[in-house]
Amino acid sequence: MNESVITYNVFHHVAWGTTISVYFWLVGASAGSFVISSFGWVFGIKRYKPLALTASVTAIAMLLIVPILLIWDLGRPLRFLYLMLPGYWHATGPMSWGTALIFSYPIAMLIYTYFVVKNNPLWAKIVGIVSIVLALSTHWYTGVVMELNPGRFLNHTALAPLLFLTGAFISGIGLLILILWIQNMFVAIKNRIEWALIEEMAQYMMYGLVFDAFLLFLDFMQTLYGSHSEVMGHEIVLMGVFRFPYLWLEMVIGLIIPFFILVSPIKKFKAGIILAALLVAVGVYGMRVWWVMGGQYLQTFY
Amino acid sequence: MPDSHEKTRRSYGLQTAGTKGVAGTKRYAMIIDLRKCIGCRSCMVACKAEFGIPLGVWRTWVKEGDKGRYPNTKRIFMPRLCNHCDYPVCVRNCPTQATFKHKDGFVLQRYNRCIGCRTCMVACPYNARHLIPAKRTDGNLPTMVVDKCTFCIHRVKKGIVPSCVQACVGGARIFGDMNDPNSEVAKLASKETLTVLKPELGTSPSVSYIGGDWELMDEPHSYTNRSTGLKEEFNDFKRNHKGDAFGDIIEGGDSTMKQVGQNMNGFLHTIPHKAKNVFDAFVNFLFK
Repeated sequence: MNESVITYNVFHHVAWGTTISVYFWLVGASAGSFVISSFGWVFGIKRYKPLALTASVTAIAMLLIVPILLIWDLGRPLRFLYLMLPGYWHATGPMSWGTALIFSYPIAMLIYTYFVVKNNPLWAKIVGIVSIVLALSTHWYTGVVMELNPGRFLNHTALAPLLFLTGAFISGIGLLILILWIQNMFVAIKNRIEWALIEEMAQYMMYGLVFDAFLLFLDFMQTLYGSHSEVMGHEIVLMGVFRFPYLWLEMVIGLIIPFFILVSPIKKFKAGIILAALLVAVGVYGMRVWWVMGGQYLQTFY
Repeated sequence: MPDSHEKTRRSYGLQTAGTKGVAGTKRYAMIIDLRKCIGCRSCMVACKAEFGIPLGVWRTWVKEGDKGRYPNTKRIFMPRLCNHCDYPVCVRNCPTQATFKHKDGFVLQRYNRCIGCRTCMVACPYNARHLIPAKRTDGNLPTMVVDKCTFCIHRVKKGIVPSCVQACVGGARIFGDMNDPNSEVAKLASKETLTVLKPELGTSPSVSYIGGDWELMDEPHSYTNRSTGLKEEFNDFKRNHKGDAFGDIIEGGDSTMKQVGQNMNGFLHTIPHKAKNVFDAFVNFLFK
């Protein structure tokens, strides 16, 4: 077997590249931050109220970069308007759903933030519920936009949205911890966020890491026991060309090291939690890279 | 009561209704008899000439391989093009209805609707789509939108076969209406064993092969069994033709993450050029 050699083929480019992977990371971090923001005003956990504003502003800031990336990534940037015109909108296209979500989610967040600033608990809760559904849906969409391509065997898994949402949760918390730490350095002592609260968030991040590891294990099992394409995809793409983002960046730097920091006595030190948060936020980008570019890699040689 | 084909069409999820075996409709299809293909690539040249296809992209191409071990060897070929699937994933996933399934079986692209998001390229399991580069010899032809094989609908509607079929010196490409029992393709389909690419995906391609070799049809195999020369050529191509999609990773080169950074840098460099186009469009709209 395998005695043949391919001697000529034309070459193809990867259709979605770095821009899309950065966009996936930003949306994830935004959704994760917003979940934390909603703890106080939507779910009624009062000790989280002081950080709601910082969290929702972080979420909005992350999302403001997204249209810049996406619109300039189009071949015809000005035609992004077509995505919203009724005569063009295509109900079965996942990107059509994504467009609706990406435009409505920041608007809902802005209104929510307005009510948080105005200290209006009723409307903050109502708009917060809508926003959290939109936040989760926007990130769910980034998982399914590549999942719903049967030809992309590394992406075509029902675990995709869960993997993305879990990654969003942990990277959002990681980023928020870093921002709150920086914020605490510049505000008056009475306005500082209590460190105990940040420690609690780090605990949630640790639970997220465990669930993420479980999902990655499931995905690993599926590819290991999968079709020829899945097995080879794992061997050639994930453990081959994309070994650094998959194995080192996502699993070692973004998962194993922060997990051990958060279960060991190191977590009692401020620097330990800050380091874990940084590693998680960076590590999740590794997943975005292999997910977007790795999923398309093999086919460019077909 | 709907007949069995109608039932099949309706039960296939969100896909466009197929034309396979539906009475009263045409289903243009191509059969490629690989026993007759000599790898001359006349089809590639004819297609390039017919549509003025820019450098670096192809609507049809011919893969080539060497099979067996000396002295039992054989050179094998496989022409590739859009499969004009009966259930095209690209049509389902396009967000602006830029691509559609024609009632006669063609999968076509509307350039004026395409925004260049490349969703269809990600969706297509056959690499049959490409983004037209920004630079093109004929400035009046579209750029930066997705393009694909049209099965030469402009010729077929006049009763002429597609240009690749006409140029094929060995008569390996056979084109016709699969729903017409008297057509050559229908007759071949009834007596020969046909294979299609990636049948497990359920796309129901309109391009099928006689005498296909799995070595050329298999995706991971196309990667693992490349010749040394082809590997080098591909790396050179990726290094020198960045294109307009920044996701290419060169094997054996810089570290993957360094290349990801370089790709982002490349993307940022395209923004001024695209911004100028947008600005020009506004100026044209307002003052001309």
